[in-house]
Amino acid sequence: MSTEDRPAPRSLAEALRVRDDDSLAALLRSRPDLITPVPTDLTQLATRAGTRASVLRALERLDRFALQTAEALAVAADPATYDDLLALMAGDARDPAVAAALPRALATLREQALVWGGEDRLRLVRTARELLAPSPQHPSPTGLGPTVQEATAGMSPGRIQEIVTTAGLPTTHDSVSAVTALAALFSDRERMAALLDEAPEESRAVLARLVWGPPYGQVTPDPAAHLRWLLDRGLLLPTAPGTVVLPREVALHLRGGHAHREPEAVPPVVEATATHRPAMVDATAAGQAYTALATIEDLLKDWDEGGPTVLRAGGLSVRDLKRTAVALDVPEPVAAFWVELAYAAGLLASDGDADERYAATPAYDEWLERPAAERWARLAETWLTATRTSGLIGGRDAKDRALSALGPGLDRSAAPEVRHRVLTLLAGLPEGAAPAAESVLARLRWERPLRVPQREDDLRSRLARWTLSEAELLGVTGRGALSAQGRALLGTPVVKAPKESEPSGPGDKLPVHHHRPSLPREPLSPPEQAVASTAAARLLAPLLPEPLDHVLLQADLTAVAPGPLQRPLADMLSVLADVESKGGATVYRFTPASVRRALDAGRAASDLHDFLGAHSRTPVPQPLAYLIDDVARKHGHLRVGAASAYVRCDDDTLLNEILADKRGSALGLRRLAPTVLAAQADPTALLDGLRAMGYAPAAESAEGDVLITRALAHRTPPRTAPEPVPDGPPTPDATLLSAAIRAIRAGDLAATAPRKPAAAASGEPAGTSGDLPRTSSAETLATVQAAVLTGEALWIGYVNAEGAASQRVIAPIRVEGGFVTAYDHTADEVRTYPLHRITGVAELADD
Amino acid sequence: MNGPLIVQSDKTLLLEVDHEQADDCRRAIAPFAELERAPEHIHTYRVTPLGLWNARAAGHDAEQVVDALVQYSRYPVPHALLVDIAETMDRYGRLTLTKHPAHGLVLTTTDRPVLEEILRSKRVIPLVGARIDPDSVAVHPSERGQIKQTLLKLGWPAEDLAGYVDGEAHPIELREDGWALRAYQKQAVENFWHGGSGVVVLPCGAGKTLVGAGSMAQAKSTTLILVTNTVSARQWKHELVKRTSLTEDEIGEYSGTRKEIRPVTIATYQVLTTKRKGIYPHLELFDSRDWGLIVYDEVHLLPAPVFKFTADLQARRRLGLTATLVREDGRESDVFSLIGPKRFDAPWKEIEAQGYIAPADCVEVRVNLTDSERLAYATAETEEKYRFCATTATKRKVTEALVRRFAGQQILVIGQYIDQLDELGEHLNAPVIKGETSNAQREKLFDAFREGEISVLVVSKVANFSIDLPEATVAIQVSGTFGSRQEEAQRLGRVLRPKADGHQAHFYSVVARDTIDQDFAAHRQRFLAEQGYAYRIVDADEMLAEGA
Repeated sequence: MSTEDRPAPRSLAEALRVRDDDSLAALLRSRPDLITPVPTDLTQLATRAGTRASVLRALERLDRFALQTAEALAVAADPATYDDLLALMAGDARDPAVAAALPRALATLREQALVWGGEDRLRLVRTARELLAPSPQHPSPTGLGPTVQEATAGMSPGRIQEIVTTAGLPTTHDSVSAVTALAALFSDRERMAALLDEAPEESRAVLARLVWGPPYGQVTPDPAAHLRWLLDRGLLLPTAPGTVVLPREVALHLRGGHAHREPEAVPPVVEATATHRPAMVDATAAGQAYTALATIEDLLKDWDEGGPTVLRAGGLSVRDLKRTAVALDVPEPVAAFWVELAYAAGLLASDGDADERYAATPAYDEWLERPAAERWARLAETWLTATRTSGLIGGRDAKDRALSALGPGLDRSAAPEVRHRVLTLLAGLPEGAAPAAESVLARLRWERPLRVPQREDDLRSRLARWTLSEAELLGVTGRGALSAQGRALLGTPVVKAPKESEPSGPGDKLPVHHHRPSLPREPLSPPEQAVASTAAARLLAPLLPEPLDHVLLQADLTAVAPGPLQRPLADMLSVLADVESKGGATVYRFTPASVRRALDAGRAASDLHDFLGAHSRTPVPQPLAYLIDDVARKHGHLRVGAASAYVRCDDDTLLNEILADKRGSALGLRRLAPTVLAAQADPTALLDGLRAMGYAPAAESAEGDVLITRALAHRTPPRTAPEPVPDGPPTPDATLLSAAIRAIRAGDLAATAPRKPAAAASGEPAGTSGDLPRTSSAETLATVQAAVLTGEALWIGYVNAEGAASQRVIAPIRVEGGFVTAYDHTADEVRTYPLHRITGVAELADD
Repeated sequence: MNGPLIVQSDKTLLLEVDHEQADDCRRAIAPFAELERAPEHIHTYRVTPLGLWNARAAGHDAEQVVDALVQYSRYPVPHALLVDIAETMDRYGRLTLTKHPAHGLVLTTTDRPVLEEILRSKRVIPLVGARIDPDSVAVHPSERGQIKQTLLKLGWPAEDLAGYVDGEAHPIELREDGWALRAYQKQAVENFWHGGSGVVVLPCGAGKTLVGAGSMAQAKSTTLILVTNTVSARQWKHELVKRTSLTEDEIGEYSGTRKEIRPVTIATYQVLTTKRKGIYPHLELFDSRDWGLIVYDEVHLLPAPVFKFTADLQARRRLGLTATLVREDGRESDVFSLIGPKRFDAPWKEIEAQGYIAPADCVEVRVNLTDSERLAYATAETEEKYRFCATTATKRKVTEALVRRFAGQQILVIGQYIDQLDELGEHLNAPVIKGETSNAQREKLFDAFREGEISVLVVSKVANFSIDLPEATVAIQVSGTFGSRQEEAQRLGRVLRPKADGHQAHFYSVVARDTIDQDFAAHRQRFLAEQGYAYRIVDADEMLAEGA
């Protein structure tokens, strides 16, 4: 910020006005919410930058040290000098690391328009100050309490003078100067040290307990001597009956001036725990990439004939996920990951039929045709940019609904950014170096700390953990280290490993020299990503195993494919044999059932022999050849078909005659045996047909007896008799009656209650009963608020969500957030009404 | 990367045997991976927690295992699998059983949370005593076996460093006159002795008895040998007298008929597990002498009560001998925790290649049931079905044809059903050995068979185990105990003893087509096919036609 000759700015707007375009652009880039919609002028921009929502968003995106700096400014005087701030951050000892990092942190805050003003007059934006300054409701992360001045507000002047005297200061004529003198004493290191030297041991222990916060403590109405010693000197000040607080100045003295117990000026280093040969990392990642492709294919093949049904609420049922996990032979969370990945890549979707099921999309068939490396790049790119987060599956959302795979509620907008950031951190390590997950998480937590510390596993940390494990599954990393293809995916050229492992990232802003091309801080734009993906695919392609055209057949009736197979070969083998084990190789086992399956699929035994002979590197073992022949020998020996009826006759010439008769063609007769004909017509039609042809057939029962034909009376399934429908409504019972009367009386009260005439400003006097009162919204609010205080009932006009107007008598209980909560006399219960739906109010006249 | 090994996601390892590095690779993975199948081209090894802990017990660490996989693997090894291996191996040795001078047997941990975790288990509580310090807890000495068994089930196997008692010393020497321990036998003895206790896995006919004798010569102390039956006991005695400095008088037999307790005592499982009025009266045998070594023959058949006794014998050295760790009851983990980890194994084919066991030609002969038999089979009760198809008359014809074909060679006909065997004996004019045949009679017939006085012997399943019939070159199996895989292995073992003239052995299995006999046969043969002994299948009709 150049504040050379110009007068010091007096407001944020003025401070913004003097910033150059680049610096404004930086502000708007980091706080894009400020330009939606585009503000008309800088004053409006400054106003918007000061709104609570926007400031919160900006604070949440600060790194830990910048946030700590902002927190320190919030407990410093307003405005504060740079030296004040430095004292708070670096302590009395002026920690050199902190002192070195502070200008960068302050620059960040300035850039973000959270701080403005010159070095001598640093001002934190008021909203930020309110958010970060300690108050009894929202303790500050600094653990500091209120200042002496804040804590003594409301204390009697006599008591203040007493404290001042006991602390060894001269009495003053007014409280303000007394408090100032006391604060000055507390801030003076030497005098304060002398004062504390006199303190009893127990008193010092009390101070030690409160010094790093929370600064509040409980005391009994009659405190012990060591507490009294502190209270008498203002080293503890009462805030409420039974509660005391350690004033900020005292705490800072005891802390040696530090606002934070641990100022974290330097980002934690992402440490490599193991270093592998880069070639091995790339190969491992490529192996995993191949597995990823195979898994997706397995998954969708498994769903080829009717995938699982879609739950009514959307998504995959737990049982279907379990089944899929078993079919893929992976744990359920991993299965969920693959399912989600295929979904996000558009390879599977719901078919949208009445009985909705999941199935592969046409895009899947196109995807299958691509070379393997491109297929992988598509998956990896999808994963990198997707907001859907499979790690959440199996958990519950805020409303305690189970989150199911492919279901709603899995989008987390932070996911792509975290994934990108984690991979960028990995890319910052030398090639082949695998970091400890914890050090990556620590770094992420530093870069984007939580303002209010939570349990360990906040969303970003969980996302980061998932990223690490998913990257390994997908083959972006291999043995924990980023592979060359993974690096390419990030859009970074592969760099030869520099010796030092100094991290990059927000460290860019540190005044430290870098001799490495900086990695993109933000996820790539779609076109950039497409280029990066293509580059990644190019790197991956030579690492993927070449599909084989042969298998090894063994006498224990197994076939081993010592690598991936060409697709037609794999398809045929998966019909002819059962897959026994998968991985780099595939082990198939031939069983009678699997051979039968191949025969059912229309293959002849000789085809199978030829197929095995052609694709086996070794002679076909005799037991396998025997197995195929043995199954083929029996295959099709029994024939099964469907017929509706049959004709049986001992005289086969008669059957010949029937078959030859053209009139019988409609009956669909076929000879099964010399004395049996099968018919496609049902028995009745067959009987009629044969009779029409001049024969005299008799019907046969299932047991073979002759059926005596007799007209069967037609019957419906069991039915209940219809209920009588009386003319007019039924006689009401007592409860219904009393309820009805109550409702009528209440409505009556609303309609006829004598009302005070509405205010003259509202136009016509609401004289006649039945008119809806009309009042302006301000008037409505005032009246309702008054009624809350007096507890009176009001008469209101109200339009419900369907637009129907009604009149009600209500007794408002409270008004907040645009809603009136009131006891509704008309409905006889407590209800809530949006204020904007109330067309008007009128007080009920006193009876 | 063009190694011989492929690592599968289900933790099986496929080894291409024709690859030039195959031998190196096999040596590298053998300590931790169990050979599961060894057909002609690709051997399958499986990595199990037990196998990994076996490797830890033998002094290998996770890094070696990972290195072996990474070095020989053709494709990159999934990271998750390597992590899993390291984690599994890391579980071994967190807990150790040691002898403390003041507190006796003590369970110590290097990782306090593990101790806390296992001490919370209901099954561990009754086995431990007072907490000595945060990292150790006293264990009742009598529960040494129990706690090892329980901890293994909890997934935290304890390393037993509490040592062994030496037992009563007794001089035993090997008498290597005109013969010597084979290299692999020496290796097995050495591995066992070094490890303290454990199991040696060798194929039938590879000389397990000599490994036992070698171990006794190492221990030089009183020895209790547990065997499956009396014939086997006699066999052991015979071998020991022949191969070692022990004399007849030093070796006692403890069986249904004789109850001798000598410095070296051979007892049968059957007599030990005889229960009278709810107690095991012969259990005192274990305490009757201060045994320095206990040998379990055919560990895969160890009956459940013997496991229970063994749990109390953890202070003595234990040697298990077996052809296969496959147990039909799946109690492999009890063998690991109570007898000890696997100390040595060698695949059958490897020993065959060294010429120590005979190559075998395995043939399955499929016979057709006659039409009337098929109808009868279809209507038979479920529990009678196997008996019915296994004893079909057609099998007799095939057996006769086979006996004719191999006339002049020593032939064993093995079956399950006595009436079938009797009938066969009658038609083949051969003696039948079955359950009711007296031991004296059995030995007489076996001797006659060995001498070549009789060339065909029909035996029931009493001959399944541990009898030595060195000159049998042909075995014909007509029926078996349903689908028992280890029975099939034992029976094949009958013909695998090395032949004087290097003759090929033949193993015929006669099976009725399209019946459950065929299904059982498939199940039985799978084990052998996986050991590299693939069956050829021939039709009985063709075979009979050839023979005619």
